[in-house]
Amino acid sequence: MRTAEERYARMTLIRHFEQAAYRAYERNELEGTIHASIGQEAVAVGVAAGLDAGDTMLSHHRGHGHALAKGVDPKRLMAELMGRAGGVCGGRGGSMHIADVASGFLGSLAVVGSSIPLAVGVALAARRRGENSVCVVFFGDGGVNQGVLYESMNLAAIWQLGVLFVCENNAYAITTKAEEVTAGEGLVGRARAFGLTAELVDGQDVEEVGEVTRRLAQGAREGIPAVLECRTYRYLGHSRADPPHGRYRTREELERWQRRDPLDVLAWRAGLDARTRARLDEQARTEVVQAVEWARASPRPSTAELARNVWGDG
Amino acid sequence: MAEEMTYAEAIGRALADAMREDDSTVLLGQDVAAGFPFGATGGLAQEFGEQRVRNTPISEAATMGCAIGAAMMGVRAVVEVDFAGFALLGMDQLVNNAAKLRYMSGGQLRVPLTVRLGQGPLGAFAAQHSQSQHAWLASVPGLAVCTPSDVADAYELTRWALRQADPVVVAEDMRLYRTKGQLAEAAALPPGVPRPRVVRAGSGATVLAFGHGTRLALQAAEDLARTGVELEVIDLRMLAPLDVRTIGEMAGHTGRVLCLGDDPLVGGITATLAAVVQERSEPGALRAPVARLGARHVPTPFGLAEEAWVYPSVQSIAAAVRVLVAWPEYASEAEAEIEQGEFAMAVV
Repeated sequence: MRTAEERYARMTLIRHFEQAAYRAYERNELEGTIHASIGQEAVAVGVAAGLDAGDTMLSHHRGHGHALAKGVDPKRLMAELMGRAGGVCGGRGGSMHIADVASGFLGSLAVVGSSIPLAVGVALAARRRGENSVCVVFFGDGGVNQGVLYESMNLAAIWQLGVLFVCENNAYAITTKAEEVTAGEGLVGRARAFGLTAELVDGQDVEEVGEVTRRLAQGAREGIPAVLECRTYRYLGHSRADPPHGRYRTREELERWQRRDPLDVLAWRAGLDARTRARLDEQARTEVVQAVEWARASPRPSTAELARNVWGDG
Repeated sequence: MAEEMTYAEAIGRALADAMREDDSTVLLGQDVAAGFPFGATGGLAQEFGEQRVRNTPISEAATMGCAIGAAMMGVRAVVEVDFAGFALLGMDQLVNNAAKLRYMSGGQLRVPLTVRLGQGPLGAFAAQHSQSQHAWLASVPGLAVCTPSDVADAYELTRWALRQADPVVVAEDMRLYRTKGQLAEAAALPPGVPRPRVVRAGSGATVLAFGHGTRLALQAAEDLARTGVELEVIDLRMLAPLDVRTIGEMAGHTGRVLCLGDDPLVGGITATLAAVVQERSEPGALRAPVARLGARHVPTPFGLAEEAWVYPSVQSIAAAVRVLVAWPEYASEAEAEIEQGEFAMAVV
């Protein structure tokens, strides 16, 4: 994603994908629940744009956007959401547990904060192989109060590993306002206390996210792990069961964020005209329609498959 | 040429041999470089360096998670947890990630992680340092649990664990670390999952045991032999995957089976073992109801005598076997020796 146009294309792909997934859920084509990242596309694409090809990514329950930003095929991602055999994980993981190792997307894990220490290990393995790649791990403002985050920052710092901890601060851990449950000055101050480089950026500006990611990732390659906090906002509720506004946040607050939509911010910054935007939007829409059709045509995993990959030869 | 050494030294030998064989092997844990407190990793940092024998901060969750992340990417990671009670801080990582990543990723990820867990009571360390997690861990799909009972098996099962592509918990009974035995010159590992082993043949009754229980059962067998009861002792070696077919076959040798564990009867491993014996033995092979001997359902008390009251002993094993052998007659003298709460025998 070297050009602004490519970044715009990826962001709009994520938005169409999330909207399509949401509609599929409403039609009962998706089971379980779904955590859409609409409104947060600039974080996913900005971070991915700031990485090198050999870098890897770990994510959380709201991870569709990260996967698409890292290059996961939307057809196989949609099939995973539908629990189909053609999904990236053969339909075994679903929306909250996505991995596509070939793309460097090592996994999204659904227990808040639990993917964080894995990044330290991935970075340790890279060092053991003599590589200076970086592992990015995403977590939200809810993950900021998990103890394992600080254990992991400490471990990454003392072992000088290539980890970039990215906090997507979308202001709410489900219904709980981040500032009501987070003491002190916030994550950046906490991270600096561990000797990490830490920066707070506008998560709705993909160019700013990308530039700062590149700089922090470079430091991490050289042995100074880093924290990037991105201020962002989810337009939809936490999951399908949660309305976009009216319970714990106001319509006015939502609309205020929507006025600085990340797609508009990028179009303005990069000078993308209306025709270009419409063309990229149409391309993304078509790709997502094809992804949904492809996923629908994929069969569900067989019972024999369900018993495989547990432990050992089976 | 066999060599005498302790159980802890045999584990150390297995780790060293594995590290020489596979450069990707890395040990992680608190005080592993110094080999504190049980000595198993002593000297490894000198031979392999502190990049491969890595002291960690007291951060069990991050250590376990780091080992999993590294293992996912091709490092053969070994985590030492001195006391099983501490493993609870890393349990989210072990159960939610190590055990499930291969499955949830549709086989894209493998986690060749070995977790060494110091289990059981150690002698007046009280409840938090004296517990066993084997039954709990054995019930988690995606984890293997082995329970070496002597020096030779400590070496063999540790080597085996370090060759698996999926996570293995080596439940090391802390009471065994200082026990001595002979380690023969390393032979090739037999293929497949280690199988239960008849460690003492007998015709009077069968004990299914593992870990420290195997040692106690062998001692009880000596006492019983003096009264004319020949006890067969089977060392299970693995609690997961559990070799239910072999257990069913072996139980039929004598038809009188005692399942021995050092966890409570409710929810403990003996409940599973007894069910397996009932379900898998040949029709008519059982000559008495399956009996179980486990630990009392209390947190381990502090003092030595009080701790001993909780766990099976040579005496209580021998008494339980006498009850089993006497069946269907009553062995009231033997029954009086084993108190209710740690012994159960279904009456049909």
